[in-house]
Amino acid sequence: MTGIIAAACHFPGRTQSVEGIFHAEGAAYGPQVAARLGIELVPVCAGETASALALAAAQKALAQAGLDAEAIDVIIDYSILPQEYLVPAWSMSNKLQHELNATNAFTMGFSGGDATNFLISLQCATSLIQSNEEINTVLLLAADVALPANRLLNPDYPLTVLGDGASAVVVQRNAGRYRILDTELLSDGRFQGVCYVPGGAIAHPDRPDLYRLQLNKLLYDQAPKAEALPPLIDKMLERAGLPWSAITYFLYPNISADDQASFEQTCGHRNWPGQANGLIRHGHVQGTDLVLNFLSALASDAWREGDVICLCSHGMGFMAGAALIQV
Amino acid sequence: MNTPIGILATAYYLPPTRKAIADVFRDEEIPAERLAANVDFQRDIGIEAIHVADQELPSGVGLKAAQQAVEEAGLDPREIDLILDFTSIPEDYPAPTWSAAGLVQRELGATKALATAVNTGGCASYHVALKAACALLSANDHLNVALLFSGDKTPALNHTYYPITVTCDGGSAVILKKNHSRRVILAVEVATVGQLHDVWYIPGFSQHQPGQPADERLLYMTSDIQRFNENVIPINFFMFRKVMKAAMKRAGLKARDIDYYIYPTFSTWDQKGFCQSLLIAPEKVYTAGLRRHGHLQENDMVMNYVDAANEGYIREGHVVMVTTNGAGFTWGAALIRH
Repeated sequence: MTGIIAAACHFPGRTQSVEGIFHAEGAAYGPQVAARLGIELVPVCAGETASALALAAAQKALAQAGLDAEAIDVIIDYSILPQEYLVPAWSMSNKLQHELNATNAFTMGFSGGDATNFLISLQCATSLIQSNEEINTVLLLAADVALPANRLLNPDYPLTVLGDGASAVVVQRNAGRYRILDTELLSDGRFQGVCYVPGGAIAHPDRPDLYRLQLNKLLYDQAPKAEALPPLIDKMLERAGLPWSAITYFLYPNISADDQASFEQTCGHRNWPGQANGLIRHGHVQGTDLVLNFLSALASDAWREGDVICLCSHGMGFMAGAALIQV
Repeated sequence: MNTPIGILATAYYLPPTRKAIADVFRDEEIPAERLAANVDFQRDIGIEAIHVADQELPSGVGLKAAQQAVEEAGLDPREIDLILDFTSIPEDYPAPTWSAAGLVQRELGATKALATAVNTGGCASYHVALKAACALLSANDHLNVALLFSGDKTPALNHTYYPITVTCDGGSAVILKKNHSRRVILAVEVATVGQLHDVWYIPGFSQHQPGQPADERLLYMTSDIQRFNENVIPINFFMFRKVMKAAMKRAGLKARDIDYYIYPTFSTWDQKGFCQSLLIAPEKVYTAGLRRHGHLQENDMVMNYVDAANEGYIREGHVVMVTTNGAGFTWGAALIRH
């Protein structure tokens, strides 16, 4: 069965306090906000490019897997924030294919869905391997760097603080551990505009003031979030013939303490406890959140062979997704 | 393919406003000099007019194509399991944060679908989307119907990708269905040469320098023609041959088995080069769309397929090679038994 054979993150060395970010972006900060967010500091770039972060993460993952880049058959990019040049006319995955010297790989990338973009990529990677006998190894990667002065999502009532960082995951056929049992995803088009950058493309080609990640708070409040996930998990469990109790831990994005607590109730208090540390020290780094929390659980040695873990994300209410992985 | 996947419906939409090629060249101040001893860009391009979207957004033209495809298929939108946007140039809002997939999902009422976008491949993004969609349908029992769509609108004064082609606005859509026995996809191959990632690109606002005007020109296609000539041109037809051979091998077919070719509508000299370099008879390649509308990016693959079938060049049982290159750089080849 296809599984994860290596995973890595790479963050810039510099950090910035959340209090400092609130001050810089002109938002009010206090104990209530601090408790709601649960984020103390975030990694921030000081001139590093997103692709440089992604390259470092990919190199770490490949070294961990003991693989030459030539062994990679596909590279899938799950980045979410605007990149060095304008996507989809340009893709970081192509630059990385070159810089890694992954000469046998073709590239692919997906858009939209916040952290759930990682789960789409995971589903596509497993599907490509399952349906193409010549595809054996897929490198998933992402790098997200916040737009200038745009780390607070919805400054009037900040829902999260964006950190900068990158991650990479190697998925391979016949993996011995961390086997991907299933993935299930569903988007809700009614909420497609919940989180986007209004300026900088065809709708507003000459509005740099709108070149900022923006949340439609009204839409976000209406959208199903944690509650969108159990039906997806139910479907996977039914297909696998497993009960809810078979899931040892849930891994969830680092949007805020409030958001994690909301999901904690939904999933029956089986959130991986270590992910609070990811939240405190990194903030929200899109799909990299799930990889970061996966790595923190691995480092803690909390899992036993045969445990089933569930990675899930509500994709800001637009795109819910979940994956079951067996240790 | 492990599971047969066929094309249930295809459609395209061209906005009604047309602009004569001479007016495009005038408005965009395109140089009149010859490209080479025997090629004059303006005289030889082979395009009479293009379609322009005026006030319509990329999502709007993509949606219209998607609606036509759903109607042609006689499909209840709630039967759609997967929506893949394969637009290769900027849409309404910047990617990868946003794609038109969710908007199309909402407007169609495709409430049971996963809506996302593939964002690589350039004009070969159709092949990347086909590769992804076929894999997802094949490997997942609960996924049976996929809608692929694209909607392109370039800035009003950036239709000319000098010295390659002139682009047209419009959209296209394809519906794939598992176990559908017509227009069966036999193979899809994609190859990427990432070293060429920044030969053709759009800078975008990430490249905006303080003090400089931030205007629509940041959304213009930008090229490094010296690298294009030195690094892309020498390998271009070699890469076409590579992906087409791989597709034929996968399908267990030889070149003589290919009845017809769908190729992009860049220019007359490019179409001629394709036929000459790969020893393909010109009458086996659909070229008529070039004159009518020029190059419609990744939509060329769908639109030329539709027109070639409607005009009788592709008939039932024909094996069709659908092939293109795309900025980034990617080459794609798909074999379809019509």
